[in-house]
Amino acid sequence: MRNSRYIKLLFSGLISCVLFSSCFKDVDFSQAEDITLEPDLEVDLLFYQLNETDFLDSETNAYTPVIRDTVRLEFLDDDYIQDGLMYAALRFKHQNKFPYQINSNIRFLGENGRSQFNVAYVIPEGSGAATSVIDTTRVLDSNEIEKLRRSIQMVVELEVVGAGKELEGELDFMSKGLFRFEF
Amino acid sequence: MRRFAPIIFLLFFFSGFSQNRPLLYNVDDLPQSLLQNPGARIDFTRHIGVPFLSQIHLSAGSTGVTAYDIFADDGTNVNQRVSNVMREITSGDYFSINEQLEILSFGWKMGARGYFSAGIYQELDVFAYFPKDPALLAFEGNADYIGQDFKFSDANFMGEVLTVYHAGFNYKVDAKLTVGGRFKLYSGIFNAESTGNDGFFRTVETPGGPNFYLHEVRGLDVTVNTSGYASLKEEEDMTVDKAVAELLSRSFFGQNGGLGVDLGFNYRVTDQFSINASIQDLGLMFHQKDVENYNYFGSFQTNGLEPLFPELDGNEPTIPYWEIFEERVDRNLQEETTNNTYTTWRPLKYNASFQFGTGKSILPCDYLLSKKPRFMNLFGMIISGVNRPKGPTYGVTAYWDRKVTDNLRFRLAYAVDEFTLTKLGFMMSSRFKNFNIYLAANDIIGYTNLAKANSASLQLGMQFIFKDL
Repeated sequence: MRNSRYIKLLFSGLISCVLFSSCFKDVDFSQAEDITLEPDLEVDLLFYQLNETDFLDSETNAYTPVIRDTVRLEFLDDDYIQDGLMYAALRFKHQNKFPYQINSNIRFLGENGRSQFNVAYVIPEGSGAATSVIDTTRVLDSNEIEKLRRSIQMVVELEVVGAGKELEGELDFMSKGLFRFEF
Repeated sequence: MRRFAPIIFLLFFFSGFSQNRPLLYNVDDLPQSLLQNPGARIDFTRHIGVPFLSQIHLSAGSTGVTAYDIFADDGTNVNQRVSNVMREITSGDYFSINEQLEILSFGWKMGARGYFSAGIYQELDVFAYFPKDPALLAFEGNADYIGQDFKFSDANFMGEVLTVYHAGFNYKVDAKLTVGGRFKLYSGIFNAESTGNDGFFRTVETPGGPNFYLHEVRGLDVTVNTSGYASLKEEEDMTVDKAVAELLSRSFFGQNGGLGVDLGFNYRVTDQFSINASIQDLGLMFHQKDVENYNYFGSFQTNGLEPLFPELDGNEPTIPYWEIFEERVDRNLQEETTNNTYTTWRPLKYNASFQFGTGKSILPCDYLLSKKPRFMNLFGMIISGVNRPKGPTYGVTAYWDRKVTDNLRFRLAYAVDEFTLTKLGFMMSSRFKNFNIYLAANDIIGYTNLAKANSASLQLGMQFIFKDL
């Protein structure tokens, strides 16, 4: 009987020790505040494939050396861009088969149409046999990231230098963005 | 038979299943063993539990990660640790929480061979696989995973709160065989489940294509079924406290019902050696009221936006490329909320064990006694498992059960399961006259520092148990 009481006490004590001394050691849960989501997203932006007909008026067939278009990028106004964008690198690639230089100007505009920043470069002349390729990556600094946040429109503008109605060839454009966020 | 014991041990060990409550399984002087196996051999003639206190069961576990893995106070960067865990953990790893609270429990011997038992308990069961691919996409993005699929099937979880009304009968067929069954009525309080999802998102390089990449969602088919949630959601000013209060108010008569059975047997191969097995919760829940299903389906792909350089005069608006893009997305990737009834299986639990007894007890010298002497030392092995959406979770427990006196018993157990390879358990049951109190804790090494434990479970309770000779 004495033996059983001793065992009861012993095991009750053991269980109490295990259960009531149980705790979380060597951890710091306040680090939860420091946990961040830092996704790197590769996202296609605009693309186009042009030929000589894109530089001709569809009604009058008149040659137009300058063409442009505007695309609203509504995602630039979303919270994850406005609050979480930490890094952005924009890549633009032109492949030119026109035998003329082409000036490319890619502009980012705000809601009011005011230019925030632009990426301009000359696309060297190419040919049907030898495509000229220009591949540009623009890493935005913090000032430009702020300007990107204020942007909502992307304008692509092309100016063919020195050509006439006899223009013949192709121009392909690809673009993408690498966006790093921190939430 | 003794010669075969090691063989059976090895067979069981390597065929494996798991957890449940192995520390209470085969404990013949606890009524809770009848909840584990309605055909268990028992050693009492009446019982009545202290309401709400006859069994409190809590268990939680995670197979792939511990709190220490993330929150270690070792000076390293917490985000780096999260990243390491994300790489190591797989979509087969899971988190589980199970809680049972016995509200009412009673039973008595019927005739010479039968024992009737009944009661009510409330159960919460949450089981979620780690959504590896969606989490990887959220934490790290797609940049380092070009060409790799992010599978929506990794989102796989279920959670339910219900009240169970049960009545069972244990029948001793002869000196060797005992069988039993338990009928259960489920009263569903809350259910949410999303299993069998399909589809993937990926970004692939497209050399020769119109742009650098192709982003595509293919075969998206994700459904989240809920019952007992819509009414909470629709209530204005709903807070967590109010939601819990509302759920508790549904405790006794939930809106959705179900039926299930437990079945089991125990067979004494010899005086010393016995085998037994049981299944629990072979049953269905029919979700018919307060049901809301959220469905997401479709396929979509894009290379980005393509400006067409239209001829516009200064006053004409530009083409709304973004709106057209959004319309395409909405047309191809749809979401729909429905109120379709659905049926879920309860997580089926199964147990099988063998037990070997040594050291016969000495009974009081009374010629009126019909009881057979019990063995003071019992060695056994239990294989147990639970059916889950991606297959059963399983574990094996070996134990030494020691009856110190007729009123004191303890069990030491060692288990191997998907949480850990070193799970030590301890159970003690004690009787003071007819009042019984028991306490069982599994993975007691983990209790010394829960931060490093993959799992922990605890059962405790108190009740009146009568052993009329």
